Amino acid sequence: MAIKRADFPLPDLEDELTKEFFAGAARNELVIPRCTACGAWVWYPEPACPACGGELAWTSTSGRARLFSWAVVRRPFLPAFAEMIPFVTALVALEEAPEVRIVTYIVDTDPQELTADLPLEVTFRPLSFPTVPDRAVAVPMFRPRP
Amino acid sequence: MIGTPDWGHTTSFEDINGDVAIVGIGETEYTKASGRTARDIGAEAAERAIADAGLEPADIDGLTFSGAFADFDVAAFHEQFGTTHEMWSSPWGGGMSWAGTAPYLAARAINAGKARHVLNVFPVAWATQRASMTGGPGEVHATQTAKQNLEVPFGWFPQPVYFATIMRRHMLEFGTTEAQFGAVAVACRRHANLHPGAVMHGKKMTIDDYLASPYLADPLRLFDSCLISDGGAAYVTTSAERAQDLPAPVVVVRGVAEGLSASGTHWSQQRDFTSTPQVFSAPPAFAMAGLTPQDVDVLTAYDPFTVVSLMQIEDMGFCPKGESGRFVEGDTLFHDAGKLPFNPHGGLLSHAYVLGIAHVVELVKQLRGTAAAQVPGAEVGVYGGYTGAHASTLVLTKA
Repeated sequence: MAIKRADFPLPDLEDELTKEFFAGAARNELVIPRCTACGAWVWYPEPACPACGGELAWTSTSGRARLFSWAVVRRPFLPAFAEMIPFVTALVALEEAPEVRIVTYIVDTDPQELTADLPLEVTFRPLSFPTVPDRAVAVPMFRPRP
Repeated sequence: MIGTPDWGHTTSFEDINGDVAIVGIGETEYTKASGRTARDIGAEAAERAIADAGLEPADIDGLTFSGAFADFDVAAFHEQFGTTHEMWSSPWGGGMSWAGTAPYLAARAINAGKARHVLNVFPVAWATQRASMTGGPGEVHATQTAKQNLEVPFGWFPQPVYFATIMRRHMLEFGTTEAQFGAVAVACRRHANLHPGAVMHGKKMTIDDYLASPYLADPLRLFDSCLISDGGAAYVTTSAERAQDLPAPVVVVRGVAEGLSASGTHWSQQRDFTSTPQVFSAPPAFAMAGLTPQDVDVLTAYDPFTVVSLMQIEDMGFCPKGESGRFVEGDTLFHDAGKLPFNPHGGLLSHAYVLGIAHVVELVKQLRGTAAAQVPGAEVGVYGGYTGAHASTLVLTKA
């Protein structure tokens, strides 16, 4: 059951279900699967629309969201996180589809400034861990909207 | 159905009220890392439960265990006891939510004539195994694709971080305070201090101690979190009729139900973020039993983190949604205060992290009148099981 992938905990860019999310981030786009038949946003990704069975297409979003909830992590639960603590990991609700909750980092602000439903915008940043030398993956992070 | 029915559902169960009884219980020692295997722990718990029921291993013709762990299955049973007889078995028993639904499986097998005496067993050796696990008990989560790619890289891992986020949302929505979460931890520790078998038996905790304990991930503190333990327990179920011939005081199974969350263990995506699938489980279990939350003398509910206790207390109907923080203040949860005695063995927070099996055994002791922190006159006991994806509700009464 142990995780063998050498670049863990970076995302697996070969994973069929999630790789488009990171491909979008690499071109500064926040993309989420949306059903081409019924229009439902589907998150987490599925092979097909769970509502109608329709085909899903990775679709651009505004990148605007509201802060749903967050935690300030102070204990390095993985060795990869040791140099990052404390950091803010959060769930943010996408503006056009609040049922889509994206797990992300909140950056460019003091944790003390965070409040419920705080307006946020996406910012694409390289994610790297000292335990995975010479690798970085562009990922969506969020910051307060000006 | 109570709550918002679009995020989960109730498993359909037949009415088994009064059909079966729990007639034997067995426990090992509960410890920090012991060096023992889970299989060895399971064997000892099984042996003690069978003896407590006044039975021989050859009388046990049914076994429910955890298929996900499979530490003590039929092969292990026969190897331990030198038996070879036919046994009905199901891998959908054991601990967590299934510690509450195993008596239903037993009732169905017994009613169908497939078994007479069914043993449910659950051991765990996570304290011993911890060093070799990626992220400890979070390891199983880190292997799931969506979590591995969409959660772990963003630091949302493992369980203390999930539940810190749920705690925060409960605070934002309902005004729950840190001291109110602390009231759960303090009550469980008080009970463990009264229970010689509890891992935290000798360690006192006041609300000030709670508030001084370090954050693992704000707002979740070390003392909001369960222990990591080695230990196990087991219980024997038989027909209510057969139970009359056995030596132990009879504890009757009155109601059982199971609720499921549509988002499984993807807590981040659960529509009703500050609820548990108890919303879908407790009402049908109480209905089967013909009882209400007001009838309950003692509650044991799965408490991996204090917020899970608060959510289950709400979702099982002991107080309105969102009011659990104010409800648990003061002595509400104390075993001897006459309100809602909660986890009188100390729970996962202060007794041992054996994933709920000791919660059910404690209920049986309470209804027999032999518990360490005995609730005076306890006649109705309820277990609330939980995994995130599942919740179960088991209603037991004194015969």
